[in-house]
Amino acid sequence: MPRSPRTTTPAPLRTGIAAVVLAVLGVLPATLALAGCSAGPAASSGPGTGDTNYIGGTVGTTAYRSGQRPQAPQVSGVTLTGQRLSLSNYRGKVVVLNFWASWCSPCRSEAPALAQLSRTFQAKGVQFVGVNIKDPGQLNGAAYERSFGITYPSLYDPAGQVLLAFRDTVPPAAIPSTLVIDRTGRIAARIIGSVDYTSLKNQISGLAAAGPGGSSSSEGGG
Amino acid sequence: MTGARATGVADQAGQDAGQYLPKDGAQEETAGQPAKPFGIMGWLRWCWRQLTSMRTALVLLFLLAVASVPGSMLPQNGTDPTKVQQYISQHPLLGPLLNRLSLFDVFAAPWFAAIYLLLFASLAGCVLPRAFRLAVSARAKPPAAPRHPARLPFGSAYRTTQQPAEALAVATRLLSGEGFRLRTGDGWVAAEKGYLRETGNLLFHIALLALLAAVGLGALFGYKADILLTEGDGFANTVADYDQYHPGRAVAPGDLQPFTIWLDKFSASYIASGPLRGEPSSFAASLRYQQQPGTPIRRYDLQVNHPLNIDGAKVYLLGHGYAPQFRITDGKGRLALQQAVPFLPADNTDFTSEGVIKVPDAQPDQLGFVGVFLPTEVASDGQLSSAFPAPLNPAVSLVSYAGNLGLNSGAPQSVYQLQTSGMRELPIEPRPLFPGQSMKLPNGVGTVTFTGYRQWISLQVTYDPGRVPALISAILAVFGLLLSFLVRRRRLFVRVHPATAGQDGADTAGNGTEVEFGGLARSDVAGGFEEEFVALTAAIRAAHQVTQGAAAGQAPLDESASASLGSTAGQGSVSSQGGTASAGGTASTDSTTATGATASTDSTTGAAASTGAAESTGAAANTDRK
Repeated sequence: MPRSPRTTTPAPLRTGIAAVVLAVLGVLPATLALAGCSAGPAASSGPGTGDTNYIGGTVGTTAYRSGQRPQAPQVSGVTLTGQRLSLSNYRGKVVVLNFWASWCSPCRSEAPALAQLSRTFQAKGVQFVGVNIKDPGQLNGAAYERSFGITYPSLYDPAGQVLLAFRDTVPPAAIPSTLVIDRTGRIAARIIGSVDYTSLKNQISGLAAAGPGGSSSSEGGG
Repeated sequence: MTGARATGVADQAGQDAGQYLPKDGAQEETAGQPAKPFGIMGWLRWCWRQLTSMRTALVLLFLLAVASVPGSMLPQNGTDPTKVQQYISQHPLLGPLLNRLSLFDVFAAPWFAAIYLLLFASLAGCVLPRAFRLAVSARAKPPAAPRHPARLPFGSAYRTTQQPAEALAVATRLLSGEGFRLRTGDGWVAAEKGYLRETGNLLFHIALLALLAAVGLGALFGYKADILLTEGDGFANTVADYDQYHPGRAVAPGDLQPFTIWLDKFSASYIASGPLRGEPSSFAASLRYQQQPGTPIRRYDLQVNHPLNIDGAKVYLLGHGYAPQFRITDGKGRLALQQAVPFLPADNTDFTSEGVIKVPDAQPDQLGFVGVFLPTEVASDGQLSSAFPAPLNPAVSLVSYAGNLGLNSGAPQSVYQLQTSGMRELPIEPRPLFPGQSMKLPNGVGTVTFTGYRQWISLQVTYDPGRVPALISAILAVFGLLLSFLVRRRRLFVRVHPATAGQDGADTAGNGTEVEFGGLARSDVAGGFEEEFVALTAAIRAAHQVTQGAAAGQAPLDESASASLGSTAGQGSVSSQGGTASAGGTASTDSTTATGATASTDSTTGAAASTGAAESTGAAANTDRK
């Protein structure tokens, strides 16, 4: 007698094919199908047992050469403080787009670097924009910004709509993820996992120095 | 070994395509060994032969079944990660050990993969060559007619006044009309029917391979992901939004269908009285979803085992629980956290749930709480417990900590566990808080308010493009198997000789033809070939005589008479070893004497008198058939 939905997992349904085969063809193909149901590799979910509540992903930086940079999508929304924000407003600037959540440990560890860099580069045509995902309620995000002295705006994206917008270009496949967008609105780099202060700084300086029209410079980082 | 296979093929083509799975192992072990030195190639060949043997496949199959057992005994990350977490925390010694052995991920474990990959290889190695052989067999022409077809298990012979060539042409035409595959030669025609058996068998084998391929397809291009969703929240089908994500090898993050799901409300009802008190009677999650950004938002009532299908991805309702809501101010009097915190059910009968609250942005000290949520709190001598799974009298009780949560280090930690190493427990007795009630923490580090509760559900999103192909393959495999069981292969040979003179017949030599029939049913498990044989011979005989007129006739051939078991008096020459088909004897009684063979009388001359050659059983069988 199931006590909750969890005890009635959908597994029997999905192995239904297997069951049919099992019944009629004998055990042989059945177990194959069974095996197939779960043949997916145990990739993902970072370290530990997966109760960290987020996908860790493969940490690393992907840089795109200037000719091969994917166009960043149109993204707009409401910030944690309730203002409307559209990425296209920052066309002509280098944009550092950081996806974060207030409870996420790697986000918290990279936050001081981001806060610092955003101040350093503010006058050099570099705009930092946060995207607060997987956070229930704006208040936690606001407290986070207060803790780390973050002054740049963050889009509040509880249902992952900004994530979806990047689906066809460079999906931010983990929390945290950071996209560096050049002055022409093209994605120059993606960093999965915590950013490293120095390498992000180099990355941004290169793009900022390229000036409007943005040529060259694609340094990998790590 | 190749030699063994080759002869096997020959055998098969010649005699016996009946069995549908070869006992390769047994056969080849004895056949392949003779005194050759075992070089590296020899060893490899030996290994391959062992791997593809039926015995190995069965052992692997058994192993696979055994290896799946822990998958149903222990909670699995694939279906319910929260339960796994619970199990590990409840079994501090055994839990991590089992985790190391992948026993919470049985179906993704390396040792499990090893078993099924070996089984795949074994099956493919067995099925593929087998399929080739079947394909050859299904296209084969019938073998040449034997010298004396009448000596076959089913045999018959008679004489007709037609010329041999004409008689043969008549028989050929008739057999062809009956759907036989024909092969003709000098004075004979060999006919075979029932190739559908091999086709079915081939279909079965191919479908089996297709099933493997479909399963592989799912493993490559499918994915599975889990998420816990609280009422009022939503998520997009993107990697970063999931709690757990298991992609197939060829799945890129951008391949996920771009849908979004919001949970408006979850409702569960429980049986309130009787022996099943507390058992759930229904669950429903009312969702809104959007297929992709910009498309209309639809509603869906998600229920257990009734997944929502979006673009081929299926969304299952797996579990549910409570998420008590808190508002927490820190030591500086500022709001530091306001959210519903999902607690995990520790007891599925009364839904007493446990969880932790982390307040990393509280200042000056970070705050942490270990809590219990009781849907229907009842006080019984100092022990907190819940009397019912529905939220009739919700309460929480918290143990409070202050200090460093360890969250700023960057090291991932469980959201269901509090790392208390950097924290101190606050000297405040846990007591039940009811909605709206607050608890002021000592030393002015903050205030906690229990503002209410929400419910959460856990969802699993699965996408398996191999599902439909696997189903179709399975159906085809069954169909093929049925064909191969139900259709039987049978052969019919007709040989004509110019009649020799001197028997008792009226014909002069050279003016008539001796016609010999032989029939063979291969793997005649289903039975019934006798009747078909009798009917066919009767029909052909009839054809021979109608074109001829009913007059001419001759005595039966001696040899056929002697060869037949069931016939008496050398007259009836159809026989069958089974004896029942001596019915055929009637059909073959020669036309001159116009026996009582019903089969022939009906269709031909209507001769009434019986010479008595026909046995009564035979006659009966024939009449039955009519």
